[in-house]
Amino acid sequence: MDIILWIAQNIFVTPAILLGLIVLVGLLLQKKGPSQVVSGTFKTIIGFLIINAGANVIVGSLNIFEPMWKEVFNLESSALGEFMGQEAFNNQFGSMVALAMTLGFLINVILARFTKAKYIYLTGHMMFWTTMIFAGILVNSVGTDVSFWGAVIFLAVILGIYWTVQPAVTQPIMRRITGNDNIALGHTSASVALLGALGGKLLGNKDNDSEKLQLPKNLEFLRDSNVITALTMIILFVIGAVVVTVKQTPGSQELMASAGEQNFIVYSIIQSFTFAAGIAVVLMGVRMFIGELVPAFKGIATKIVPGSKPALDVPILFPYAPNAVVLGFLGAFVGAMIWLVIIGNTVAYVFVPTMIVLFFHGAAAGVFGNATGGVRGALLGGFLTSTIVAWGQYFMVRSFIGNTIPDTAMWAADSDMFILGPIVSFLGQLFF
Amino acid sequence: MKILTVCGLGQGTSLILKMNVESVLQSLGVSDADVEHTDVSSASSMNADYIITSNELAQNLEDHSAKIIIVNNYFDEDEIKQALETEFS
Repeated sequence: MDIILWIAQNIFVTPAILLGLIVLVGLLLQKKGPSQVVSGTFKTIIGFLIINAGANVIVGSLNIFEPMWKEVFNLESSALGEFMGQEAFNNQFGSMVALAMTLGFLINVILARFTKAKYIYLTGHMMFWTTMIFAGILVNSVGTDVSFWGAVIFLAVILGIYWTVQPAVTQPIMRRITGNDNIALGHTSASVALLGALGGKLLGNKDNDSEKLQLPKNLEFLRDSNVITALTMIILFVIGAVVVTVKQTPGSQELMASAGEQNFIVYSIIQSFTFAAGIAVVLMGVRMFIGELVPAFKGIATKIVPGSKPALDVPILFPYAPNAVVLGFLGAFVGAMIWLVIIGNTVAYVFVPTMIVLFFHGAAAGVFGNATGGVRGALLGGFLTSTIVAWGQYFMVRSFIGNTIPDTAMWAADSDMFILGPIVSFLGQLFF
Repeated sequence: MKILTVCGLGQGTSLILKMNVESVLQSLGVSDADVEHTDVSSASSMNADYIITSNELAQNLEDHSAKIIIVNNYFDEDEIKQALETEFS
């Protein structure tokens, strides 16, 4: 009994070790060689630990971004408030997230085996963030004393159903876009993609296909996520910094004092690069452990579910309509700037427009919108994406995840999570 | 031998490409390849013998010392096989 307790207290509560063990079992099941087993397991553990480091960098930059824009909009100036934050949340609930993700995947495999929805969800990084955000919502709504296994099973069931149903719902339009039935979309942009398709159908013009357009070569840099993230944050930070510098209010002077000897605008530009750097660090960590986890998952799935179709990341859509991808992003970007101003002036919330979310979700909505409504459909799809993301972030941070991980919700939560978040919160209160 | 598979974010798509490349290499009888997936900015500063990526991203990696192999549909094992066959068989 002492041994079990010792294992529970020392190993089970460390999510990095737990994930390492899950990958270890997956690799052993696939009869990989010893060098692959060791490197796969180690990279999983290191990768998970890297996430905490990057998350802290992002929060550091957001802690300047938020008061800066509050000052721009003349809002009550306050920091992000009291909350747990990603690192503390990981330390306390990371094992819950790791187990819920793994069990949720197994439920997805079982549902695919026994129902008509033969889709296996393989977009690992989105599986991770969805589980993380839903766990943050659950703990936020029922409290930190939530029963460990109750929460694991609750989350796994919701996720397993979501990962099976989501690809099935988007598949009719996917068939139209890809021209076959071999691959499905497995991504949290399903809701905005469907909205884009609906909007395109109602207001677009299908004959004006975006792929007939010639887009300028200069937009190629949009394909590098580090560059667009830094660029957009520079624009926003510099606008904020200039306004703060011009104002002579106590709030703006306090902000400028935080730069110390450095010029405030230069300081702000460095903050925007720091934000992009933080995201790059987190993504590197996620890449390291998802890169080991997903092949292990795939090996299990293909053995148990013959004839299953993989549900994959958004870029599978890109080759079918590359122009619609850019149009969707442009629609989302313009929309995000409009909502930043409107939300700031009405409900006094500073929207953090995360380019990764706007780009990939805007792209999905753009391609779906183009399929039903051409150029206008693609742009509209992008705009609808920014609408869901901006208002979703506001409601999420203020109402559903404010005590746990609002910092993560500001950049890693997105369309489907915003739509499903209130339902998770409601069901959590119902069951716990 | 070190091979990088590259996409814009370095998360989902390049991972699928990595798995497909590994299965194609296996069918070609290549067993000494270490395939890693990454994003385009990281790739430009990483050592590799080969980089497999799409036409658009390849332009950002032109100066890289690795040999670049173009695959446009990361999910099409036949295209990947065609692209790799000339190098590895």
